[in-house]
Amino acid sequence: MKFDLVLCGVGGQGVLTTAYVLDHAAVDAGLYFKQPEVHGMAQRGGAVSAQLRISDVPVSSDVISDGGASLIISVEPMESLRYLQLLRPDGWIVTDVTPLKNIADYPDLTRLYQTLFSLPHVLAVDASRLAAKAGVMKAPNIVVLGAAASLLPLAVPSLEKHIAALFAAKGERVQTANRKAFRMGRAASRFAAALTERGVPHALMARVVARLDFDETPAPVPVVEAWSERLLKPDGADLAARVLGSHDLVPLDARLPEALA
Amino acid sequence: MTREILLGDEAVARGALDAGISAAYAYPGTPSTEIFQTIQAYVKQHQLDVRGLWSTNEKVALEEAIGVSYCGKRALVAMKHVGLNVAADPFMNVAVSGAWGGLVLAVADDPSMHSSQNEQDSRYFADFAQVPCLEPADQQQAYEMTREAFELSEKLRVPVLVRLVTRLAHSRALVGLSERRPQNETHYVDDPGLFTLIPSNARRAYAKLVDKQAGLQRYAEENAGNVLALRGEGKPGIIVCGVAWNYLREALGEAVDGFNLLRVGVYPLPVKKARALLDHSSELTIVEEGYPFIERFVSALGLFREKPVKGKLTGHVPRTGELSPDAIRRTFGLPVAPSLEVDRLESLLAPRPPRLCDGCPHGDSYRLINEVVQELAKDTRVMGDIGCYALGYLKPYQAIHSCVCMGSSIGMAIGAAHAGISPSLCVIGDGTFTHSGMAGLLDAAREDVNVKVFILDNSIVAMTGGQPSSLSDEALVDLVAGLGVKRPHIRVITPLANKKAENLAVVREELAHAGLSVIIARRPCVVYAKEIKQQQRERAAAHHHHAGDCADCTGSCP
Ligand SMILES: Cc1ncc(C[n+]2csc(CCOP(=O)(O)OP(=O)(O)O)c2C)c(N)n1
Ligand code: SF4
Repeated sequence: MKFDLVLCGVGGQGVLTTAYVLDHAAVDAGLYFKQPEVHGMAQRGGAVSAQLRISDVPVSSDVISDGGASLIISVEPMESLRYLQLLRPDGWIVTDVTPLKNIADYPDLTRLYQTLFSLPHVLAVDASRLAAKAGVMKAPNIVVLGAAASLLPLAVPSLEKHIAALFAAKGERVQTANRKAFRMGRAASRFAAALTERGVPHALMARVVARLDFDETPAPVPVVEAWSERLLKPDGADLAARVLGSHDLVPLDARLPEALA
Repeated sequence: MTREILLGDEAVARGALDAGISAAYAYPGTPSTEIFQTIQAYVKQHQLDVRGLWSTNEKVALEEAIGVSYCGKRALVAMKHVGLNVAADPFMNVAVSGAWGGLVLAVADDPSMHSSQNEQDSRYFADFAQVPCLEPADQQQAYEMTREAFELSEKLRVPVLVRLVTRLAHSRALVGLSERRPQNETHYVDDPGLFTLIPSNARRAYAKLVDKQAGLQRYAEENAGNVLALRGEGKPGIIVCGVAWNYLREALGEAVDGFNLLRVGVYPLPVKKARALLDHSSELTIVEEGYPFIERFVSALGLFREKPVKGKLTGHVPRTGELSPDAIRRTFGLPVAPSLEVDRLESLLAPRPPRLCDGCPHGDSYRLINEVVQELAKDTRVMGDIGCYALGYLKPYQAIHSCVCMGSSIGMAIGAAHAGISPSLCVIGDGTFTHSGMAGLLDAAREDVNVKVFILDNSIVAMTGGQPSSLSDEALVDLVAGLGVKRPHIRVITPLANKKAENLAVVREELAHAGLSVIIARRPCVVYAKEIKQQQRERAAAHHHHAGDCADCTGSCP
């Protein structure tokens, strides 16, 4: 087993924190790993990335080869595209959709989304809003990690354990909120998988998941069914575009797809 | 054996602690900074009796370590590659005197220049000084070789250089740690001539260093860090070293076993092993991270024609930047895996370089400087220096026109003044000023050159993560005065938008003065406000001197 992934975002978004959780989970699983990272950007808002190479045999190179990564986990949508050279053609991108515009020439967001949502395997979530709802503004990285969890060769309880350890010093409230943030991400990925299972085209699924208001528990089956049925109708693409265009989280409500029609 | 997840830098730190160091010194610099950070934190957490500090510069750091070695104890010095240029004088000379207690330099090179001005290869320095260099390939070796370096240093009485590169320094893996060795007892150098390099002693010492070379060669030849694997007469051969081994292994996979191979981790180059490899091989490819160091020896710069030798000099391996598994695949004509392709991806990717933080005092300083520069001759140049404020080169400021090495701005401004730019301007941070800018100011003061020195005093070494400045605030004013700058032309301003008018007036007054002026723009870095307070408290405590104790207390003393 060999699994390479890229973690990325902007200084201060907790990219290296996520790497810490994954490293420890890899040790728990008895796997070998190497995990290089970029230092020195935390304060000054530059692009930050880390890589993680997990394997059941010793890892040679610290860095991933082009086309070697199975997954990119990003806390920012433009950054999620910066390392595509490393991604396999069948690799996944899991990202927050919220742009961080600390530069003058940030690309046009409509075009950015168009490209992002035309990729074959993308799971985007509104991690910033979900984190705020969970009670920690700073936790989009944890939401995104939750969304990526099912793609990782690592055990979910182990990930949760190390997230808890990470925030142990910050007290019960922060710990609970981070666990919630992680589980919201998990719920998003399960919902995405359920829509895909029901035949919803990837591009539509990805647009809808990017704005839905997930809870820490999985979405109930009737909700999944309502959304997939609605998205499978001829104007499903239209609905998906409208959901993505929404300025706030869209409630995960079984009646809503019809109401939006 | 316990196991921990460690960065390469952390592994070096733990290796040094477990080798029984009594002290460690460093000057911060990416990618070496975490070495001393780790030592400092670990010593504090475990209440170890290990001394040390963030030194004022690399030269002083090494000299402090030499002092420890002189007293028979072990010391580590850590710095980035260009730091060794600053420490080159003590380094070249302690090689001659030799070490007493184990003396190890951990030097981190930065191929690809992730955060440096050049990609100089520290193996050359070790070779130049005729001392051993250990080059770990992974985190485990970083730990073990650091330990080994101390043994070697004491056994052969030489300083030893451990060479890291960014990819290892800043990459994590699980590392097995072994038991800590006790520290040495103090045992002073018995012969004071050993460390007294007056010519008569130095000649003897240098002859001794030359004599040591055979022992070093033997050490490298027999060391398990240099692995020779001969797979068959007439097969192609490879010499590989340090982290390049990981990339080679990744690129070739099992096929690497089809080559005759010399894997180097310990220098001087094991010549006999290299000779055996050459004799067995049809041709040789040399894969090294950094300069073509081994390749120049082995190929004699291309003069060696017995067998084809391929590498960086021949264009078979990229000459600049870091290696990677893909670079090596290309060297061996192997395919590179396809990536997910996206049309016109570049048009969607704006670069996101680091920038001055919101509210950074340097931003206000640059707005001020840009405004006065507009009033000066059109070709006015502002000499810059290294620190967060080097970002002032970029938009939106574009305020500085040079940045060469730490401390160079003042000397360059003197030169520019001599070349006809008058007044000549320069900016330098408090950290960089005390690191190596002071000497330049001494020159400027001696001749009262028409230079306007802006010292951007943010009370900390911010660029590398908030290490303490050697000195700032009022003590900095006194230092500047002590260097010979006339008090009326040392001006302190607070770089803030709402003080811009008065600041402009101060700067204009100094521009009107046809001599040396120092304008100190004093405002703490906003990111490290907490650390600055903490450091000020620690400094006050260290001086047994508390705010309010003095009759004329202004509350601003360090
Ligand atoms: C010889 C050398 N040592 C270390 C470094 C790494 N380095 C870059 S900037 C800097 C310190 C800058 O501090 P300061 O001048 O106070 O500026 P600030 O970042 O606080 O604005 C250091 C240590 C270097 N570039 N060269
Ligand atoms: S870290 Fe401090 S000095 Fe550096 S850019 Fe930020 S505020 Fe300015």
